[in-house]
Amino acid sequence: MKVTRSWLSEFIDLSDVTNDELYAIFNAIGLEVENIQTIEIPPKVIIGKILSCQKHPDADKLNVCQIDVGTGVKQIVCGAANVTSAEYVAVAMIGAVLPGNLEIKYAKLRGIESEGMVCSSKELGLPSLGDGIMILDESIGELEIGKEFGSYEKIADTLIELELTANRGDCLSVYGVARDLSVALDRPLKPFHYKQEEKMKLGIAREAEIHTEGAIQANLKYKLATVEAKRNSFIVQLRLALTEIEPQSTIESLLAYTTHATGVILRAYDSMSFRNNADKIVVSVSAAHKGIVEIYGNGVSLSTVGVNQNKSCKANDETKQILLEASYINPDILVEAVFSASLIKDELYYQTSRGSNPDLSFGLLYLAFLMDQYCQIDCYEGSLDVEAERERTILRVNTDEICQIIGQKIETNKMISVLRHLGFEINVLGDHLITAEVPFFRHDIVNIQDVAEEIVRIIGINNIQPKPLTFIEKNRLNSASDRYKIKKIFRNRAISAGFYENVSYVFSEKAILEQYGFATTDEKLELSNPIVEELNTLRSTILVNLLHAVKRNVSYTKKSIPLFEIGAVFGSKREQKEVFSFVFSGNEAGENVSNNGKPKMIDFASFVQKIGAVIGAFELVPCTYKNGLLHPYQSADILVNKKRCGYLSKLHPSVQESYGVADTFFAELEFDALLPEHKNAKPISKFQGVYKDLSVVIDKHISYYEVSKVINSLALPLLRESYPVDVYEDEKLGDKKSLTIRFFIQSMEKTLHESDIEAVISQIMQALKKEYKAELR
Amino acid sequence: MENLKEKISQADSLEKLEKIRIELFGKKGVLAAEFAKLKDIPASEKKAFAEGLNESKTILQSAFDSRYQILKAKEIESILQGEAIDVSLYGTLSDKGALHPVMETMDKIIDYFVALNFAVENGPMIEDDFHNFEALNLPKYHPARDMQDTFYFQDGKLLRTHTSPVQIRTMMSAKPPIRIIAPGTVFRRDYDLTHTPMFHQVEGLVVEEKGKVSFANLKSILIDFLRYMFGDVEVRFRPSFFPFTEPSAEVDISCIFCEGKGCRVCSGTGWLEVLGCGIVDPNVFKAVGYEGVSGYAFGLGVERFAMLIHKIPDLRSLFEGDIRLLEQFR
Repeated sequence: MKVTRSWLSEFIDLSDVTNDELYAIFNAIGLEVENIQTIEIPPKVIIGKILSCQKHPDADKLNVCQIDVGTGVKQIVCGAANVTSAEYVAVAMIGAVLPGNLEIKYAKLRGIESEGMVCSSKELGLPSLGDGIMILDESIGELEIGKEFGSYEKIADTLIELELTANRGDCLSVYGVARDLSVALDRPLKPFHYKQEEKMKLGIAREAEIHTEGAIQANLKYKLATVEAKRNSFIVQLRLALTEIEPQSTIESLLAYTTHATGVILRAYDSMSFRNNADKIVVSVSAAHKGIVEIYGNGVSLSTVGVNQNKSCKANDETKQILLEASYINPDILVEAVFSASLIKDELYYQTSRGSNPDLSFGLLYLAFLMDQYCQIDCYEGSLDVEAERERTILRVNTDEICQIIGQKIETNKMISVLRHLGFEINVLGDHLITAEVPFFRHDIVNIQDVAEEIVRIIGINNIQPKPLTFIEKNRLNSASDRYKIKKIFRNRAISAGFYENVSYVFSEKAILEQYGFATTDEKLELSNPIVEELNTLRSTILVNLLHAVKRNVSYTKKSIPLFEIGAVFGSKREQKEVFSFVFSGNEAGENVSNNGKPKMIDFASFVQKIGAVIGAFELVPCTYKNGLLHPYQSADILVNKKRCGYLSKLHPSVQESYGVADTFFAELEFDALLPEHKNAKPISKFQGVYKDLSVVIDKHISYYEVSKVINSLALPLLRESYPVDVYEDEKLGDKKSLTIRFFIQSMEKTLHESDIEAVISQIMQALKKEYKAELR
Repeated sequence: MENLKEKISQADSLEKLEKIRIELFGKKGVLAAEFAKLKDIPASEKKAFAEGLNESKTILQSAFDSRYQILKAKEIESILQGEAIDVSLYGTLSDKGALHPVMETMDKIIDYFVALNFAVENGPMIEDDFHNFEALNLPKYHPARDMQDTFYFQDGKLLRTHTSPVQIRTMMSAKPPIRIIAPGTVFRRDYDLTHTPMFHQVEGLVVEEKGKVSFANLKSILIDFLRYMFGDVEVRFRPSFFPFTEPSAEVDISCIFCEGKGCRVCSGTGWLEVLGCGIVDPNVFKAVGYEGVSGYAFGLGVERFAMLIHKIPDLRSLFEGDIRLLEQFR
């Protein structure tokens, strides 16, 4: 919402209020100031009166003007075509410096001397008002020849842009803003008095009549006028340009200006649209559905109140007789109706849906004032009216309750005074009990908390003293709080292991997910309005996002790229779960003196070690997952607490090539599976244990996992631990390999004899021999 | 005797000193030989001889000890010197990563409220119209829905546009008193320099019996919170509008870049808008079936906090895994 200081001043006295104060007050009462800007007109630009204007002898497009500038008559050559119809203009005198550092100097234009310049609006830093120079009139104030143009307060104005919240339709007009200011400044609005001169002396009823059908939930007021001549005053043009309203015709300008000033919704019709065979204007108002009020002329729907108007019936600058319509409809009724009827809405709907001014007479009177001054538009006497039955909103307000909401004692009298000023009708029922009748223009106020908000706004939110809330002690450590804490621990471990935390969109590109064989959202459950192709579906893995991040970092010349992310992924039925994903690409460590600046590439062992530093103990078993990123021979399932919780792998070389990245490893784990489990301590043996190595020769393709399964299946009570420590292959071994396993053997009951140890080893050896034809090396 | 002392003091290595020790104090050493003479000495002189011998032994021992100390110290010094390295070469060896500034900021926010006895609550990212809009006093035709450009799914579900549905879910599954924060990921269909389709919010909700929770309480906690996050700043409340709170306010802090003087970041106003808050609207309580309660709620954008606190200029860089940005937070 854009207003100007001088426009506000039409409705409220702001002579003693500075711009800084205005800025502070607007913010304090909830009309957020988006921008405040003063318009400065350079000095030595003055009002001039054109005395004569003749064609330049040597230039078709130039005119030689004699202009009275107060101190004398100056000859000025002007190139604007409209100068011939101008009387009062703004003249930049010799020495004036216009925006863009343009200094006005003596000049000779094709042999004719010129002592100044007749200005267009843009040349003075004002918005464009169309081609040519500004043609001034008394709408900016009394035109005194020689007076500084910048001394007119309607010219050197302040433009204020307010960011209104959706509930404040009442402030979508200059008058509405002034009304709120009047409460904040505690001063009355200037009354708008205008006695319309009804020159026609003909009653509207002689020409027009109105018929209604159904329960009309809108207020309507029609006036009929004949148009002889019309033009816009300078100030109307300037203010419309400042507030960036761009009407198509003079009549539209008048309506738009009036609506912006008063908040009353106005439309103009060519009266011919309503004239019937008997040459009578008949306006038919029909309420077919709740909240939808249609205007018909000759059986044709011409407009819907508050929503739209048929182009063909709109009055334009050729229209000889116009039917003016002022309307109001309660936005709460309107928006619901429009939503369900899905109607086409025009530019006025923004205002009607948020609440326009119900004071229709005020709007029409303001319009009449404009018409009478600058146009020859004559109105018929009287108007055609439709009044909707409206329920008054009367709230019973316990002022103690307001104090409780605010948290501070506020005197009832103070509240009453604020509310009355805001237009509420107050009845005092008791010490702390009042009724407040809500003014029609505040449809947004429906309950006591709305009333509290008004009080808070006006007494000043910053005048409320902060007060800590006392509450009863209660443990609030729930599972979500715990999960958050655990997640934080994991994240901190990941950064200790060298990873950077990544955050990426939970979207992905469907084609890429499909390409790599990841799950995708079912078509019937898919996003219907994705924002871009690359984010057109929910992600089912974070790995693709991480790979893209790796690729970007490669382009930033990063050589070691360790990233992790804990985030949501979605299954094909859109099941949401949280995963913990890692990627490590390129150098295993930073370049430094200990690796002579040549760190080795990340490999399977060091990646596994890093993951282990984050998630703790786990087992790796052959990979059961399937997707296009996995390396078939360097991938594994990760078991934590014997549960399968995800996988890690080297990046498939073909994907590595297509992304143009160095050796890359990744892992994706289900976060839920990593949540720490409750643990009970096991007894620790008091007896000495021994480490024993066993080297067996087995077929190359037999994995340690298979060997370990055989060993574990024996469930040997003395075998505490076993782990591989060496694998050896050479030509002599051929298709075989030598695998060395270290065992830790210990009893809970006694010190072991050599024979006990031998028994364990030999049982293992026999089992391996039987299962895999293992030989002792 | 002097001769022996001289010999000790001239030993220039621990090995030589060890040799001398054996020569002097060993079983076959000089002293042992002298003591052996004792048995041949007449009884009357025995005492004097023994005393003299002991004295000599003490003197020699102490000469030995002090020489040993000196040589040992020398040896350690030479070991130390041999192990000397340029320690400054190794200052670049850390391979620690870093938390994401948005997540780290979120941690800090959560820590504050958990310390004030707020519970943490979560909710699903895929929501329905009821939880995301209707129950929050945002009926289908409400103009305030324009403020939130929503991602919809084919079946009418949507990606939550704020963390507020967690308020609804919490209230529908628990009885007051409620004291929660809901940190989470939210979505708006908006993508330009200052908007990303996904970002993070933290929402707070306190519900107690009617008449208990006031706007003054809300001011108190938010002023304290904002000073915890941003340091010694001025805090300003401006009346505003949110469908789910009434009275509502937007909260500004004095600009931390120019200390309120006015700069590019604060558009010359000296203030930075950082959160929205208010007293819970009765329609919200009605939607969840609460009666006779009062409450406040607030919500903030974590990215905005992180960008202000760490002076990060570009919002979109936060979602690109850019190590050049992340490594600054190691």
